[in-house]
Amino acid sequence: MPGHYPLLTILIFLPLAGCLLLLPLWNRASIARPVAFGVAAVELALTGWLYASWQVLEGVPTKLPGYLLLEDAPWIPSFGIRYTLGLDGISLLMVMLTAFTFCVALAVSWNAIKERATLFLTLMLVMEAGIMGVFLALDLALFYLFWEIMLIPMFFLIGVWGHGRKIYSTIKFFLFTMFGSLLMLLAIIALHLLHAQQSGVATFGLPELMHTRLPFDTQLWLFAAFFLAFAIKFPLFPLHTWLPDAHTDAPTAGSVVLAGLLLKTGSYGLIRFGYPLFPLAAQALTPLFYTLALLGIFYASLVAFAQEDMKRLIAYSSIGHMGYVAIGIAAWEPVALSGSILQMANHGVTTGALFCMIGMLDERAHTRDIAAFGGLWGKIPLWSFFFLIFSLTSMGLPGLNSFVGEFLILAGTIHKSPLVVVLSFVGIILPLIYMVRLLQEVLFQQERQPLALADLDLREMAILAVLLLLNIWVGVHPAPLLDMIHLPVLLLTGGAP
Amino acid sequence: MTSGDLIALMPLLILTAGSVLCLLVGVLRPGKYLYAAAIIVVSSALLWSCALPAEAVLSGLSVTPFSRFSSAFLYGTGIIALLLAYSYNIRHGIVGEEYPATILFALTGMGAACAATDLLMLFLGLEAFTFAFYILVAIRRDSSRGGEAGLKYLLNGTLSAAILAMGMALVYADRGTLRLAELASASEGAHEPLFLAGCCLILLGMAFKLSLAPAHLWTADVYQGAPAPVTALLSTASKGASLAALLLLLPLFGAWHGLHDILWLVALLSMLAGNLAALVQNNLKRMLAWSSVGQMGYVALALVAAPAGGVRAAAFYLVAYAAAGLAAFGVVSVLPDEEERDTIEACRGLGYRNPLAGAVLAAAMFSLAGIPPTAGFMGKFTVFAAALRGGEITLALVGILSALVAVFFYLRVVVVLYMKPSALPVEPVHMPDVAEMIALLVPIVVVVLVGVYPQPLLELLEKILIRS
Repeated sequence: MPGHYPLLTILIFLPLAGCLLLLPLWNRASIARPVAFGVAAVELALTGWLYASWQVLEGVPTKLPGYLLLEDAPWIPSFGIRYTLGLDGISLLMVMLTAFTFCVALAVSWNAIKERATLFLTLMLVMEAGIMGVFLALDLALFYLFWEIMLIPMFFLIGVWGHGRKIYSTIKFFLFTMFGSLLMLLAIIALHLLHAQQSGVATFGLPELMHTRLPFDTQLWLFAAFFLAFAIKFPLFPLHTWLPDAHTDAPTAGSVVLAGLLLKTGSYGLIRFGYPLFPLAAQALTPLFYTLALLGIFYASLVAFAQEDMKRLIAYSSIGHMGYVAIGIAAWEPVALSGSILQMANHGVTTGALFCMIGMLDERAHTRDIAAFGGLWGKIPLWSFFFLIFSLTSMGLPGLNSFVGEFLILAGTIHKSPLVVVLSFVGIILPLIYMVRLLQEVLFQQERQPLALADLDLREMAILAVLLLLNIWVGVHPAPLLDMIHLPVLLLTGGAP
Repeated sequence: MTSGDLIALMPLLILTAGSVLCLLVGVLRPGKYLYAAAIIVVSSALLWSCALPAEAVLSGLSVTPFSRFSSAFLYGTGIIALLLAYSYNIRHGIVGEEYPATILFALTGMGAACAATDLLMLFLGLEAFTFAFYILVAIRRDSSRGGEAGLKYLLNGTLSAAILAMGMALVYADRGTLRLAELASASEGAHEPLFLAGCCLILLGMAFKLSLAPAHLWTADVYQGAPAPVTALLSTASKGASLAALLLLLPLFGAWHGLHDILWLVALLSMLAGNLAALVQNNLKRMLAWSSVGQMGYVALALVAAPAGGVRAAAFYLVAYAAAGLAAFGVVSVLPDEEERDTIEACRGLGYRNPLAGAVLAAAMFSLAGIPPTAGFMGKFTVFAAALRGGEITLALVGILSALVAVFFYLRVVVVLYMKPSALPVEPVHMPDVAEMIALLVPIVVVVLVGVYPQPLLELLEKILIRS
């Protein structure tokens, strides 16, 4: 049973240990690749083990209601910072997504990254550790530490292995995220001090800080700082401009991790920290949150329609999809929140798959220009088949995973705010327009440039098949995942508005 | 003087004797072995300060835990600077026994400044090491830039020394004593104009030593012109010793509110001036110089919040800054032909051509930028925690936003190191020798260890600051 081992610590530190394994393989990428993938696979197996036993774990109560596993140790007593990790259903889903996405990202970049491959693998493992930490930390200082650590590898990933204006993009990405995080750091410290004033206990622990009594305007300022940091990662409408650049110029693995995981840290942060810590402020800002989310959906979809670069198009569509996640969180109601959390995982799988596929096409054709392609259905049928399915998911076709998430979000929100739901129903049509245009131009139209393209090889097919199975499984039978997040979602929404 | 006092003072005696011997023996048998000897001398002084809990109170000097550990820290940076200097000086034709001897003399001054109990000894200590730096900065006689830097430092330095001396004289004229403890206990009541004028002059003099705005303008030129190992020492140990001296001076001001206002303004100006000016520098050493003005601004920010635990934050921040600064200037000193090509762009692809130097410089940049898991982040964390606890919300906000600006120019260096193709033709890379490797690795190990587990350092600082 997982409870007997410090499994959460292992999840974070195993990839770092893997980095040490890679050190002697600095010039031997052919050995380093399987080693790194092996580490990622062990991570995935560990999360699988956790998933297999979550019901057993739920039967064993921990100190915090709703949590399956907790680990706690003093770290910097001078400041009251503790090394507190906790796993509940939501974290478990995110941790599973993380382990899975890294396996996919490593597999998809198997042949794509030739230069300095071991450095690349090392950075990927460091990032995996950082993201695991973000999803598991329950101490705000610890959370902040991981939140920042995961940026550094991504900074290098885009800057070293990216294309185009990679330096501009990576600095933009870093500065945008730092801007939000630094203000959040001040807010975290301020919250800590206010709590210490009230209770005399210096702590950064989330469960304790949740009981801080804050006057409304203080709450508003602190929540604003948290919200800014998370909204940039999310990304919400006026703060999204880093994302298309970062996505377009990142290597495929970078895009997959960016879309699949880094954006999710924003929504996860809001669910885990933002709303529970500042319920009144969150409630007050809900209209703003709705507005930004809706604007994002419409704006991103319209901009996506105008894109010439396939990767940029998917990047914008990603902003639109995250808008639905935002609506579900803003509603702060069990059904909608479950939908949002499920949609976070779905979006990771679907958008990750689309980025993988565009990466595969780019490796063959050395362009991602929509105008360069046409008639791919006849030339590379396997690729086209997978691309069609994942595009349909992105449009929200029933039976595929996105539909479930979006349906739950809208079904839950309708009690709270019918107007928002009506508007977002309109927004659902928009992906249809730009995705159909994409499919029509790339897959079905007459060939526009003579390109000699090879169809998918076995490795690529295996990756996509796994992604597709997952996609359909969640689309048809989401109940196990929903059960897993049911209790934590109820606990979250019960305490807040 | 008892034998106990002698034991407590031994580190200072070792350094003084070492310095004099180095000069004498160097005349008879010049050679590179003097550097090794100097390193051994400093190491023994360091070990003595750390290991022997001997304490003594003499007139003018008292060896306390505070003085022992601050001077041990300064001796540590001295060892790193000597390790760097050894092959740097061979490469750049700096010969002669005066170099190690002067460094030993500077460290003696620093040790004395940390242990001072009256204004006179404090002044002597401060000026002793500043004097040593006048020589060290201009030690490359064939370098016009070095000469310029030396002259600038000398002129500014003597002016600041005069200001400091004038301030101390005014304080003495008003209070009739030089002893810090008596001055502090007399500072409880009302303050006379004469005393306050003295205090302001002292603060100005100290601002020069710490390169805090508005007394910071010498920094960039001097850092650029001085040999890199000297800059490494100047930007870390000299700042550390000055901060230690300032901490000794702080009780002097008592509850005078003007201190808070002056420091507030100084912190604001330093953070803004340093970080904004660093933004437009193309020369690596100048960029580091301006950024160090900004970094000192954070130290001042911590001192503004001194009643709310800011003193410990300031000391912690300085240690974190010094480790990263040593590493950064250490890399500058192993770069080839640093006189001509010390621009940031010249480091293109260094991360691959010289992996150790590149990684160390990148880690130093991340630490200076305050990104975890480095000491720099923990430093910013403690400083901002202290500032918020002290209620300095405006200053904290300015600080955090200027830290964002700083992230940009520190990242620029990382970008050049790893993300831009090497400039052609690729110049030969000087691979660091063993001494340089140690000098690069030790600070970076400190940066990471303190960044991951700062608790021991925090506890140590707590202990020595309370008892002092």
